[in-house]
Amino acid sequence: MIRRTIGIRDASVLGAALVAVIATLLTGSAYWTYALTLIAIYAIAAVGLNVMLGLAGQVSFAQTTFMGIGGYGAARLTATLGWDPWWGLVLPAFGAVAVAVLIGLPLFRLRGHYFAMATFALALGTNSLAVGAVLLTGGSTGIAGVPPLAIAGLSLGTPQGFLIVSWIVLALALAVFFVLSRSHIGRAWRALATSPDVAVSLGVPVLRLKLLALIVAAVMGSVAGSLYAQFSSFVAPDFINLVMIINLFLIVFIGGRGMLSGPVLGAAFVALIPQALSFLGEWQNVVFFVLLLLFMLFLPRGALGFDLSWLRPRPRDSSHPVPERTEAAR
Amino acid sequence: MSARPATGPLLDVERLGVDYGRVRALRQVSLTLEEGEMALLLGTNGAGKSSFVEALAGLVPVSGGRVHLRGADITSVPAHRRVRRGVSLVPEGRGTLPGLTVAENLDLGWRAVGGRSRGDFRQERERILRLFPALEKRVDSDCSTLSGGEMQMLAIGRALLARPSLLLLDEPSLGLAPKAIVAVHEALRTLSEEGLTMILVEQKALTIDWTPHLTCVLRHGEIIMQARDRRPTSEQLAELYLGRPSKGTT
Repeated sequence: MIRRTIGIRDASVLGAALVAVIATLLTGSAYWTYALTLIAIYAIAAVGLNVMLGLAGQVSFAQTTFMGIGGYGAARLTATLGWDPWWGLVLPAFGAVAVAVLIGLPLFRLRGHYFAMATFALALGTNSLAVGAVLLTGGSTGIAGVPPLAIAGLSLGTPQGFLIVSWIVLALALAVFFVLSRSHIGRAWRALATSPDVAVSLGVPVLRLKLLALIVAAVMGSVAGSLYAQFSSFVAPDFINLVMIINLFLIVFIGGRGMLSGPVLGAAFVALIPQALSFLGEWQNVVFFVLLLLFMLFLPRGALGFDLSWLRPRPRDSSHPVPERTEAAR
Repeated sequence: MSARPATGPLLDVERLGVDYGRVRALRQVSLTLEEGEMALLLGTNGAGKSSFVEALAGLVPVSGGRVHLRGADITSVPAHRRVRRGVSLVPEGRGTLPGLTVAENLDLGWRAVGGRSRGDFRQERERILRLFPALEKRVDSDCSTLSGGEMQMLAIGRALLARPSLLLLDEPSLGLAPKAIVAVHEALRTLSEEGLTMILVEQKALTIDWTPHLTCVLRHGEIIMQARDRRPTSEQLAELYLGRPSKGTT
Protein backbone atom coordinates (compact mmCIF):
# COMPACT_ATOMS: atom_id res chain seq x y z
CA MET A 1 0.00 0.00 0.00
CA ILE A 2 1.55 3.27 -1.10
CA ARG A 3 0.05 5.95 1.15
CA ARG A 4 -0.95 8.96 -0.92
CA THR A 5 -3.34 10.71 1.43
CA ILE A 6 -2.78 13.27 4.16
CA GLY A 7 -3.26 11.85 7.65
CA ILE A 8 -5.84 13.19 10.08
CA ARG A 9 -3.21 14.96 12.22
CA ASP A 10 -1.69 16.79 9.26
CA ALA A 11 -5.13 17.66 7.91
CA SER A 12 -6.15 19.07 11.30
CA VAL A 13 -3.08 21.28 11.62
CA LEU A 14 -3.22 22.52 8.04
CA GLY A 15 -6.98 23.07 8.28
CA ALA A 16 -6.56 25.06 11.49
CA ALA A 17 -3.79 27.12 9.86
CA LEU A 18 -6.01 27.87 6.87
CA VAL A 19 -8.84 28.97 9.16
CA ALA A 20 -6.42 31.19 11.09
CA VAL A 21 -5.15 32.84 7.89
CA ILE A 22 -8.68 33.45 6.56
CA ALA A 23 -9.88 34.77 9.93
CA THR A 24 -6.90 37.11 10.10
CA LEU A 25 -7.56 38.40 6.58
CA LEU A 26 -11.21 38.98 7.46
CA THR A 27 -10.56 40.71 10.78
CA GLY A 28 -7.47 42.58 9.60
CA SER A 29 -5.67 42.03 12.90
CA ALA A 30 -2.22 43.61 12.57
CA TYR A 31 -0.68 41.37 15.23
CA TRP A 32 -1.96 38.13 13.72
CA THR A 33 -1.04 39.24 10.19
CA TYR A 34 2.52 39.81 11.34
CA ALA A 35 2.66 36.61 13.43
CA LEU A 36 1.20 34.36 10.73
CA THR A 37 3.53 35.77 8.06
CA LEU A 38 6.50 35.12 10.32
CA ILE A 39 5.20 31.60 11.04
CA ALA A 40 4.95 30.91 7.30
CA ILE A 41 8.51 32.14 6.63
CA TYR A 42 9.95 30.13 9.53
CA ALA A 43 7.95 27.10 8.41
CA ILE A 44 9.25 27.30 4.81
CA ALA A 45 12.85 27.18 6.06
CA ALA A 46 11.93 24.40 8.49
CA VAL A 47 10.25 22.31 5.76
CA GLY A 48 13.64 22.32 4.03
CA LEU A 49 15.33 21.22 7.25
CA ASN A 50 12.61 18.60 7.68
CA VAL A 51 13.55 17.11 4.29
CA MET A 52 17.16 16.79 5.45
CA LEU A 53 16.54 15.76 9.03
CA GLY A 54 13.11 14.14 8.99
CA LEU A 55 13.26 12.30 5.68
CA ALA A 56 16.92 11.77 4.80
CA GLY A 57 18.14 11.60 8.41
CA GLN A 58 20.99 14.08 7.82
CA VAL A 59 21.78 16.60 10.55
CA SER A 60 22.50 19.87 8.77
CA PHE A 61 23.02 23.30 10.30
CA ALA A 62 23.44 24.85 6.86
CA GLN A 63 19.85 26.06 6.66
CA THR A 64 20.73 29.55 7.97
CA THR A 65 23.50 29.75 5.36
CA PHE A 66 20.90 29.20 2.65
CA MET A 67 18.59 31.72 4.34
CA GLY A 68 21.49 34.19 4.33
CA ILE A 69 22.08 33.64 0.61
CA GLY A 70 18.38 34.24 -0.02
CA GLY A 71 18.09 37.28 2.26
CA TYR A 72 21.26 39.06 1.22
CA GLY A 73 20.84 37.99 -2.42
CA ALA A 74 17.35 39.48 -2.53
CA ALA A 75 18.53 42.64 -0.78
CA ARG A 76 21.46 43.28 -3.12
CA LEU A 77 19.56 42.39 -6.30
CA THR A 78 16.57 44.56 -5.49
CA ALA A 79 17.64 47.32 -3.07
CA THR A 80 21.08 47.90 -4.62
CA LEU A 81 20.70 46.86 -8.27
CA GLY A 82 17.01 47.71 -8.60
CA TRP A 83 15.97 44.37 -10.09
CA ASP A 84 12.41 43.13 -9.92
CA PRO A 85 11.70 41.63 -6.45
CA TRP A 86 10.68 38.30 -8.06
CA TRP A 87 14.27 37.90 -9.26
CA GLY A 88 15.25 38.50 -5.66
CA LEU A 89 13.16 35.49 -4.72
CA VAL A 90 14.29 33.20 -7.54
CA LEU A 91 17.94 33.96 -8.38
CA PRO A 92 19.45 33.55 -4.89
CA ALA A 93 17.90 30.06 -4.81
CA PHE A 94 20.21 29.10 -7.69
CA GLY A 95 23.14 30.44 -5.68
CA ALA A 96 22.00 28.37 -2.69
CA VAL A 97 21.83 25.26 -4.89
CA ALA A 98 25.37 25.93 -6.13
CA VAL A 99 26.60 26.27 -2.54
CA ALA A 100 24.71 23.08 -1.57
CA VAL A 101 26.45 21.15 -4.35
CA LEU A 102 29.84 22.66 -3.47
CA ILE A 103 29.60 21.74 0.21
CA GLY A 104 27.63 18.54 -0.27
CA LEU A 105 29.95 16.78 -2.72
CA PRO A 106 32.99 16.74 -0.42
CA LEU A 107 31.19 16.65 2.93
CA PHE A 108 28.75 13.83 2.20
CA ARG A 109 31.70 11.52 1.65
CA LEU A 110 32.43 11.90 5.36
CA ARG A 111 30.94 9.37 7.73
CA GLY A 112 29.53 9.87 11.20
CA HIS A 113 28.96 13.34 12.60
CA TYR A 114 31.48 15.13 10.42
CA PHE A 115 28.85 16.45 8.03
CA ALA A 116 26.86 17.95 10.92
CA MET A 117 29.99 19.50 12.42
CA ALA A 118 31.09 20.92 9.07
CA THR A 119 27.69 22.51 8.44
CA PHE A 120 27.70 23.95 11.96
CA ALA A 121 31.03 25.61 11.20
CA LEU A 122 29.56 26.82 7.91
CA ALA A 123 26.54 28.35 9.67
CA LEU A 124 28.72 30.18 12.19
CA GLY A 125 31.06 31.25 9.39
CA THR A 126 28.15 32.62 7.35
CA ASN A 127 27.03 34.73 10.31
CA SER A 128 30.57 36.05 10.78
CA LEU A 129 30.79 36.79 7.06
CA ALA A 130 27.53 38.71 7.26
CA VAL A 131 29.04 40.87 10.01
CA GLY A 132 32.51 41.19 8.52
CA ALA A 133 31.97 41.52 4.75
CA VAL A 134 30.68 45.07 4.96
CA LEU A 135 30.83 45.76 1.21
CA LEU A 136 28.77 42.69 0.42
CA THR A 137 26.35 42.56 3.34
CA GLY A 138 26.40 46.00 4.89
CA GLY A 139 28.03 44.59 8.02
CA SER A 140 26.24 44.82 11.36
CA THR A 141 23.88 47.52 10.10
CA GLY A 142 22.74 45.32 7.21
CA ILE A 143 20.92 46.42 4.06
CA ALA A 144 17.74 48.47 4.24
CA GLY A 145 15.10 49.35 1.65
CA VAL A 146 14.39 45.87 0.30
CA PRO A 147 11.24 46.30 -1.82
CA PRO A 148 8.26 43.95 -1.43
CA LEU A 149 7.02 41.57 -4.11
CA ALA A 150 4.63 42.83 -6.78
CA ILE A 151 2.37 41.11 -9.31
CA ALA A 152 1.85 42.91 -12.63
CA GLY A 153 2.99 46.18 -11.11
CA LEU A 154 0.63 45.77 -8.16
CA SER A 155 2.65 45.83 -4.96
CA LEU A 156 2.13 43.09 -2.41
CA GLY A 157 3.69 45.37 0.13
CA THR A 158 0.59 45.48 2.31
CA PRO A 159 0.82 43.12 5.28
CA GLN A 160 -2.24 41.21 4.05
CA GLY A 161 -0.76 40.81 0.56
CA PHE A 162 2.46 39.48 2.00
CA LEU A 163 0.57 37.14 4.32
CA ILE A 164 -1.15 35.58 1.32
CA VAL A 165 2.08 35.28 -0.69
CA SER A 166 4.01 33.72 2.19
CA TRP A 167 1.30 31.12 2.83
CA ILE A 168 1.07 30.29 -0.88
CA VAL A 169 4.84 29.71 -0.93
CA LEU A 170 4.52 27.60 2.23
CA ALA A 171 1.75 25.56 0.59
CA LEU A 172 4.08 24.93 -2.37
CA ALA A 173 6.90 23.88 -0.04
CA LEU A 174 4.54 21.50 1.79
CA ALA A 175 3.32 20.11 -1.54
CA VAL A 176 6.92 19.40 -2.59
CA PHE A 177 7.54 17.71 0.79
CA PHE A 178 4.35 15.66 0.48
CA VAL A 179 5.08 14.45 -3.05
CA LEU A 180 8.72 13.66 -2.30
CA SER A 181 7.99 11.85 0.96
CA ARG A 182 5.42 9.60 -0.77
CA SER A 183 7.60 8.90 -3.79
CA HIS A 184 10.29 6.26 -4.21
CA ILE A 185 12.79 9.04 -3.48
CA GLY A 186 11.15 9.52 -0.08
CA ARG A 187 11.34 5.79 0.60
CA ALA A 188 14.99 5.76 -0.41
CA TRP A 189 15.59 8.71 1.97
CA ARG A 190 13.96 6.72 4.77
CA ALA A 191 16.23 3.79 3.98
CA LEU A 192 19.15 6.19 4.15
CA ALA A 193 17.92 7.59 7.47
CA THR A 194 17.48 4.09 8.93
CA SER A 195 20.81 2.71 7.75
CA PRO A 196 23.10 3.99 4.99
CA ASP A 197 24.51 0.47 4.61
CA VAL A 198 21.04 -1.00 4.06
CA ALA A 199 20.25 1.76 1.57
CA VAL A 200 23.41 1.19 -0.42
CA SER A 201 22.94 -2.59 -0.35
CA LEU A 202 19.55 -1.99 -1.98
CA GLY A 203 21.24 -0.08 -4.79
CA VAL A 204 20.28 3.37 -3.52
CA PRO A 205 22.78 5.98 -4.81
CA VAL A 206 23.43 7.42 -1.37
CA LEU A 207 25.57 10.42 -2.34
CA ARG A 208 23.12 11.53 -5.02
CA LEU A 209 20.15 11.23 -2.66
CA LYS A 210 21.87 13.14 0.14
CA LEU A 211 22.74 15.84 -2.35
CA LEU A 212 19.16 15.99 -3.59
CA ALA A 213 17.90 16.45 -0.01
CA LEU A 214 20.41 19.24 0.56
CA ILE A 215 19.42 20.95 -2.70
CA VAL A 216 15.73 20.86 -1.76
CA ALA A 217 16.62 22.24 1.69
CA ALA A 218 18.79 24.93 0.08
CA VAL A 219 16.01 26.15 -2.22
CA MET A 220 13.50 26.31 0.65
CA GLY A 221 16.01 28.02 2.95
CA SER A 222 16.91 30.58 0.31
CA VAL A 223 13.28 31.35 -0.54
CA ALA A 224 12.50 31.77 3.18
CA GLY A 225 15.47 34.12 3.53
CA SER A 226 14.38 36.19 0.53
CA LEU A 227 10.82 36.41 1.84
CA TYR A 228 12.12 37.46 5.27
CA ALA A 229 14.17 40.29 3.72
CA GLN A 230 11.22 41.44 1.60
CA PHE A 231 8.80 41.14 4.51
CA SER A 232 10.91 43.21 6.89
CA SER A 233 12.36 45.38 4.05
CA PHE A 234 15.65 44.94 5.82
CA VAL A 235 18.29 42.30 6.31
CA ALA A 236 20.99 42.11 9.01
CA PRO A 237 23.21 39.35 10.46
CA ASP A 238 20.75 38.77 13.34
CA PHE A 239 18.36 36.78 11.18
CA ILE A 240 20.92 34.04 10.51
CA ASN A 241 22.53 33.88 13.94
CA LEU A 242 22.80 30.97 16.38
CA VAL A 243 19.31 31.67 17.75
CA MET A 244 17.81 31.13 14.31
CA ILE A 245 19.68 27.82 13.93
CA ILE A 246 18.32 26.68 17.30
CA ASN A 247 14.83 27.91 16.40
CA LEU A 248 14.77 25.92 13.16
CA PHE A 249 15.75 22.73 14.97
CA LEU A 250 13.16 23.42 17.68
CA ILE A 251 10.51 23.91 15.02
CA VAL A 252 11.27 20.55 13.40
CA PHE A 253 11.55 18.65 16.71
CA ILE A 254 8.46 20.26 18.27
CA GLY A 255 6.33 19.64 15.19
CA GLY A 256 7.62 16.11 14.70
CA ARG A 257 10.50 15.04 12.48
CA GLY A 258 9.36 13.85 9.09
CA MET A 259 5.77 14.99 9.65
CA LEU A 260 4.22 17.01 6.81
CA SER A 261 2.64 19.73 8.93
CA GLY A 262 5.19 19.52 11.75
CA PRO A 263 7.05 22.68 10.67
CA VAL A 264 3.80 24.68 10.67
CA LEU A 265 2.94 23.61 14.21
CA GLY A 266 6.54 24.00 15.39
CA ALA A 267 6.85 27.46 13.84
CA ALA A 268 3.62 28.52 15.54
CA PHE A 269 4.99 27.31 18.88
CA VAL A 270 8.33 29.09 18.46
CA ALA A 271 6.77 32.31 17.17
CA LEU A 272 3.78 32.55 19.50
CA ILE A 273 4.70 31.00 22.87
CA PRO A 274 7.48 33.45 23.81
CA GLN A 275 5.09 36.30 22.98
CA ALA A 276 2.31 34.72 25.01
CA LEU A 277 4.69 34.45 27.97
CA SER A 278 5.85 38.06 27.74
CA PHE A 279 3.74 38.98 30.81
CA LEU A 280 6.24 36.95 32.86
CA GLY A 281 8.91 39.57 32.27
CA GLU A 282 12.41 38.27 32.94
CA TRP A 283 11.01 34.80 33.70
CA GLN A 284 9.73 34.50 30.14
CA ASN A 285 12.74 32.58 28.79
CA VAL A 286 12.96 30.35 31.87
CA VAL A 287 9.33 29.27 31.55
CA PHE A 288 9.71 28.82 27.77
CA PHE A 289 12.66 26.47 28.19
CA VAL A 290 10.92 24.54 30.99
CA LEU A 291 7.99 24.09 28.61
CA LEU A 292 10.40 22.88 25.95
CA LEU A 293 11.97 20.44 28.38
CA LEU A 294 8.56 19.03 29.33
CA PHE A 295 7.70 18.83 25.66
CA MET A 296 10.80 16.79 24.85
CA LEU A 297 10.22 14.55 27.87
CA PHE A 298 6.60 13.72 27.18
CA LEU A 299 6.43 14.15 23.40
CA PRO A 300 9.85 13.06 22.18
CA ARG A 301 8.51 12.39 18.69
CA GLY A 302 7.04 15.87 18.46
CA ALA A 303 3.54 17.25 18.87
CA LEU A 304 2.31 15.29 15.84
CA GLY A 305 4.11 12.11 16.77
CA PHE A 306 2.08 11.49 19.93
CA ASP A 307 0.82 7.99 20.53
CA LEU A 308 -2.89 7.57 21.17
CA SER A 309 -2.93 3.79 20.93
CA TRP A 310 -3.25 3.50 24.73
CA LEU A 311 -6.67 5.15 24.45
CA ARG A 312 -8.02 2.35 22.29
CA PRO A 313 -9.79 -0.53 24.03
CA ARG A 314 -7.68 -3.66 24.43
CA PRO A 315 -8.84 -6.61 22.34
CA ARG A 316 -10.49 -9.25 24.50
CA ASP A 317 -11.56 -11.76 21.92
CA SER A 318 -10.69 -12.84 18.43
CA SER A 319 -13.26 -10.55 16.85
CA HIS A 320 -10.94 -7.59 17.47
CA PRO A 321 -8.39 -6.95 14.77
CA VAL A 322 -4.93 -7.85 15.95
CA PRO A 323 -1.71 -7.98 13.95
CA GLU A 324 -1.55 -11.30 12.19
CA ARG A 325 1.48 -13.49 12.56
CA THR A 326 1.78 -16.70 10.70
CA GLU A 327 2.92 -19.71 12.64
CA ALA A 328 5.62 -20.59 10.14
CA ALA A 329 7.29 -17.25 10.57
CA ARG A 330 7.44 -17.17 14.35
CA MET B 1 16.72 -16.42 -11.31
CA SER B 2 19.84 -15.79 -13.41
CA ALA B 3 20.44 -18.55 -15.91
CA ARG B 4 23.03 -17.19 -18.31
CA PRO B 5 25.33 -19.70 -19.97
CA ALA B 6 28.53 -19.96 -17.97
CA THR B 7 31.64 -18.88 -19.85
CA GLY B 8 33.83 -18.87 -16.76
CA PRO B 9 33.25 -18.53 -13.05
CA LEU B 10 30.47 -16.17 -12.06
CA LEU B 11 32.51 -14.96 -9.11
CA ASP B 12 36.27 -15.00 -8.85
CA VAL B 13 37.76 -13.55 -5.68
CA GLU B 14 41.54 -13.25 -5.65
CA ARG B 15 43.51 -12.71 -2.45
CA LEU B 16 40.96 -10.31 -0.96
CA GLY B 17 42.04 -8.32 2.09
CA VAL B 18 40.11 -6.03 4.43
CA ASP B 19 41.67 -3.96 7.21
CA TYR B 20 39.93 -1.91 9.89
CA GLY B 21 42.78 0.34 10.93
CA ARG B 22 45.39 -2.00 12.36
CA VAL B 23 42.99 -4.92 12.55
CA ARG B 24 43.24 -7.35 9.64
CA ALA B 25 39.71 -8.68 9.15
CA LEU B 26 40.45 -10.63 5.96
CA ARG B 27 43.79 -11.97 4.75
CA GLN B 28 44.19 -12.92 1.09
CA VAL B 29 40.92 -14.79 0.80
CA SER B 30 40.33 -16.45 -2.57
CA LEU B 31 37.16 -18.15 -3.71
CA THR B 32 35.61 -19.15 -7.03
CA LEU B 33 31.94 -19.80 -7.66
CA GLU B 34 30.39 -21.10 -10.85
CA GLU B 35 26.97 -19.96 -12.07
CA GLY B 36 24.21 -21.54 -10.00
CA GLU B 37 26.45 -22.67 -7.17
CA MET B 38 25.82 -22.06 -3.53
CA ALA B 39 28.62 -21.46 -1.04
CA LEU B 40 28.20 -21.80 2.69
CA LEU B 41 30.60 -19.66 4.69
CA LEU B 42 31.07 -20.79 8.26
CA GLY B 43 33.03 -19.43 11.17
CA THR B 44 32.80 -18.07 14.67
CA ASN B 45 32.25 -14.45 15.65
CA GLY B 46 35.04 -12.26 14.34
CA ALA B 47 36.19 -14.82 11.78
CA GLY B 48 35.72 -12.33 8.93
CA LYS B 49 32.54 -13.75 7.38
CA SER B 50 30.59 -10.48 7.39
CA SER B 51 33.64 -8.52 6.24
CA PHE B 52 33.94 -10.91 3.29
CA VAL B 53 30.36 -10.50 2.03
CA GLU B 54 30.41 -6.76 2.78
CA ALA B 55 33.60 -6.43 0.76
CA LEU B 56 31.96 -8.33 -2.11
CA ALA B 57 28.96 -5.98 -1.87
CA GLY B 58 31.28 -2.96 -1.82
CA LEU B 59 30.25 -1.79 1.64
CA VAL B 60 33.77 -1.92 3.09
CA PRO B 61 36.93 -0.86 1.25
CA VAL B 62 39.37 -3.61 0.42
CA SER B 63 43.04 -3.34 1.28
CA GLY B 64 44.13 -5.74 -1.44
CA GLY B 65 43.03 -8.32 -3.98
CA ARG B 66 40.47 -8.31 -6.78
CA VAL B 67 36.82 -9.26 -7.21
CA HIS B 68 35.66 -10.37 -10.67
CA LEU B 69 32.02 -10.87 -11.57
CA ARG B 70 31.52 -12.71 -14.87
CA GLY B 71 35.07 -11.78 -15.78
CA ALA B 72 34.64 -8.06 -15.11
CA ASP B 73 36.72 -6.47 -12.36
CA ILE B 74 34.25 -4.88 -9.91
CA THR B 75 36.74 -4.22 -7.10
CA SER B 76 36.42 -0.45 -7.38
CA VAL B 77 32.76 -0.33 -8.45
CA PRO B 78 30.68 1.58 -5.83
CA ALA B 79 28.27 -0.50 -3.76
CA HIS B 80 25.04 0.84 -5.27
CA ARG B 81 26.32 0.14 -8.80
CA ARG B 82 27.24 -3.43 -7.82
CA VAL B 83 23.56 -4.03 -7.08
CA ARG B 84 22.75 -3.04 -10.65
CA ARG B 85 25.53 -5.33 -11.83
CA GLY B 86 23.84 -8.22 -10.02
CA VAL B 87 25.37 -8.37 -6.53
CA SER B 88 22.73 -8.11 -3.78
CA LEU B 89 23.36 -8.33 -0.07
CA VAL B 90 20.85 -9.24 2.62
CA PRO B 91 22.62 -7.63 5.57
CA GLU B 92 22.85 -9.02 9.06
CA GLY B 93 19.95 -7.67 11.12
CA ARG B 94 17.65 -7.73 8.06
CA GLY B 95 17.52 -3.96 7.48
CA THR B 96 13.79 -3.75 6.99
CA LEU B 97 12.54 -0.18 7.18
CA PRO B 98 10.08 0.62 9.97
CA GLY B 99 7.38 3.05 8.93
CA LEU B 100 7.15 1.45 5.50
CA THR B 101 4.79 -1.36 4.64
CA VAL B 102 5.91 -4.71 3.25
CA ALA B 103 4.82 -3.57 -0.22
CA GLU B 104 6.75 -0.30 0.12
CA ASN B 105 9.87 -2.16 1.23
CA LEU B 106 9.57 -4.39 -1.82
CA ASP B 107 8.94 -1.38 -4.04
CA LEU B 108 12.13 0.20 -2.73
CA GLY B 109 14.16 -2.85 -3.75
CA TRP B 110 12.51 -2.76 -7.15
CA ARG B 111 12.96 0.98 -7.81
CA ALA B 112 16.52 1.19 -6.54
CA VAL B 113 17.73 -0.90 -9.46
CA GLY B 114 15.77 1.05 -12.03
CA GLY B 115 12.47 -0.86 -11.97
CA ARG B 116 9.77 1.40 -13.44
CA SER B 117 6.80 -0.56 -14.80
CA ARG B 118 4.08 -1.11 -12.18
CA GLY B 119 2.93 -4.20 -14.10
CA ASP B 120 6.39 -5.75 -13.91
CA PHE B 121 6.56 -4.87 -10.21
CA ARG B 122 3.27 -6.64 -9.48
CA GLN B 123 4.51 -9.68 -11.37
CA GLU B 124 7.82 -9.70 -9.50
CA ARG B 125 6.03 -9.15 -6.19
CA GLU B 126 3.81 -12.15 -6.86
CA ARG B 127 6.92 -14.22 -7.48
CA ILE B 128 8.35 -13.16 -4.11
CA LEU B 129 5.06 -13.80 -2.31
CA ARG B 130 4.88 -17.28 -3.83
CA LEU B 131 8.33 -17.95 -2.40
CA PHE B 132 7.36 -16.50 0.99
CA PRO B 133 3.62 -17.16 1.46
CA ALA B 134 3.87 -15.91 5.06
CA LEU B 135 4.26 -12.38 3.68
CA GLU B 136 1.16 -12.49 1.52
CA LYS B 137 -1.28 -11.50 4.28
CA ARG B 138 1.10 -8.85 5.58
CA VAL B 139 1.63 -6.89 2.35
CA ASP B 140 -0.05 -3.77 3.71
CA SER B 141 1.33 -4.09 7.25
CA ASP B 142 4.03 -1.83 8.61
CA CYS B 143 7.11 -4.01 8.54
CA SER B 144 7.89 -3.15 12.17
CA THR B 145 4.90 -5.34 13.12
CA LEU B 146 6.36 -8.41 11.40
CA SER B 147 7.89 -11.31 13.28
CA GLY B 148 11.63 -11.92 12.97
CA GLY B 149 11.09 -14.66 10.40
CA GLU B 150 8.79 -12.50 8.30
CA MET B 151 11.27 -9.63 8.43
CA GLN B 152 14.01 -11.93 7.18
CA MET B 153 11.78 -13.17 4.38
CA LEU B 154 11.02 -9.56 3.46
CA ALA B 155 14.72 -8.67 3.43
CA ILE B 156 15.48 -11.60 1.14
CA GLY B 157 12.47 -10.84 -1.06
CA ARG B 158 13.51 -7.21 -1.36
CA ALA B 159 17.01 -8.24 -2.43
CA LEU B 160 15.55 -10.67 -4.98
CA LEU B 161 13.58 -7.86 -6.62
CA ALA B 162 16.91 -6.55 -7.88
CA ARG B 163 17.13 -9.82 -9.89
CA PRO B 164 20.62 -10.57 -8.60
CA SER B 165 23.02 -12.95 -10.25
CA LEU B 166 24.83 -13.28 -6.91
CA LEU B 167 22.91 -13.15 -3.63
CA LEU B 168 24.89 -12.62 -0.43
CA LEU B 169 23.16 -13.49 2.84
CA ASP B 170 24.74 -12.47 6.12
CA GLU B 171 23.49 -14.76 8.89
CA PRO B 172 19.84 -14.88 7.87
CA SER B 173 19.04 -17.29 10.72
CA LEU B 174 20.41 -14.99 13.43
CA GLY B 175 17.88 -14.47 16.21
CA LEU B 176 15.14 -16.55 14.57
CA ALA B 177 13.03 -19.26 16.15
CA PRO B 178 13.72 -22.80 14.83
CA LYS B 179 10.52 -22.88 12.74
CA ALA B 180 11.41 -19.58 11.07
CA ILE B 181 14.95 -20.80 10.36
CA VAL B 182 13.52 -23.86 8.61
CA ALA B 183 11.18 -21.67 6.53
CA VAL B 184 14.00 -19.29 5.52
CA HIS B 185 16.43 -22.10 4.69
CA GLU B 186 13.74 -23.93 2.71
CA ALA B 187 13.25 -20.81 0.58
CA LEU B 188 17.02 -20.48 0.07
CA ARG B 189 17.21 -24.10 -0.99
CA THR B 190 14.43 -23.48 -3.56
CA LEU B 191 16.32 -20.48 -4.89
CA SER B 192 19.51 -22.50 -5.16
CA GLU B 193 17.68 -25.25 -7.01
CA GLU B 194 16.31 -22.65 -9.39
CA GLY B 195 19.90 -21.73 -10.25
CA LEU B 196 20.59 -18.62 -8.19
CA THR B 197 24.22 -18.24 -7.16
CA MET B 198 24.48 -17.56 -3.45
CA ILE B 199 26.92 -17.10 -0.63
CA LEU B 200 25.30 -17.92 2.68
CA VAL B 201 27.06 -16.85 5.86
CA GLU B 202 26.13 -18.80 8.97
CA GLN B 203 27.61 -19.59 12.34
CA LYS B 204 25.70 -22.81 12.80
CA ALA B 205 26.08 -25.33 9.98
CA LEU B 206 23.79 -27.84 11.66
CA THR B 207 20.68 -25.79 10.89
CA ILE B 208 21.15 -26.46 7.16
CA ASP B 209 19.86 -29.82 6.06
CA TRP B 210 21.27 -29.91 2.54
CA THR B 211 24.77 -29.97 1.08
CA PRO B 212 25.93 -26.77 -0.60
CA HIS B 213 28.21 -26.87 -3.62
CA LEU B 214 31.01 -25.29 -1.63
CA THR B 215 31.55 -25.05 2.11
CA CYS B 216 34.25 -22.76 3.49
CA VAL B 217 35.35 -22.25 7.07
CA LEU B 218 36.89 -18.92 8.00
CA ARG B 219 39.04 -18.27 11.04
CA HIS B 220 40.95 -15.09 11.89
CA GLY B 221 40.24 -13.70 8.42
CA GLU B 222 41.56 -16.73 6.52
CA ILE B 223 39.83 -19.61 4.79
CA ILE B 224 41.11 -22.62 6.67
CA MET B 225 39.00 -25.18 4.88
CA GLN B 226 37.15 -25.47 1.57
CA ALA B 227 35.06 -28.53 0.78
CA ARG B 228 33.26 -29.18 -2.51
CA ASP B 229 29.96 -31.07 -2.52
CA ARG B 230 30.30 -32.28 1.02
CA ARG B 231 29.73 -30.82 4.45
CA PRO B 232 32.22 -31.04 7.25
CA THR B 233 31.07 -33.19 10.12
CA SER B 234 30.20 -31.60 13.44
CA GLU B 235 33.44 -33.02 14.87
CA GLN B 236 35.48 -31.46 12.07
CA LEU B 237 33.70 -28.16 12.59
CA ALA B 238 34.35 -28.24 16.32
CA GLU B 239 38.03 -28.80 15.56
CA LEU B 240 38.10 -25.98 13.04
CA TYR B 241 36.14 -23.55 15.20
CA LEU B 242 38.19 -24.26 18.29
CA GLY B 243 41.42 -23.77 16.42
CA ARG B 244 43.09 -27.14 16.22
CA PRO B 245 45.13 -27.40 13.00
CA SER B 246 43.12 -28.89 10.16
CA LYS B 247 44.31 -26.92 7.12
CA GLY B 248 43.79 -28.06 3.56
CA THR B 249 41.41 -28.05 0.67
CA THR B 250 39.32 -31.07 -0.10
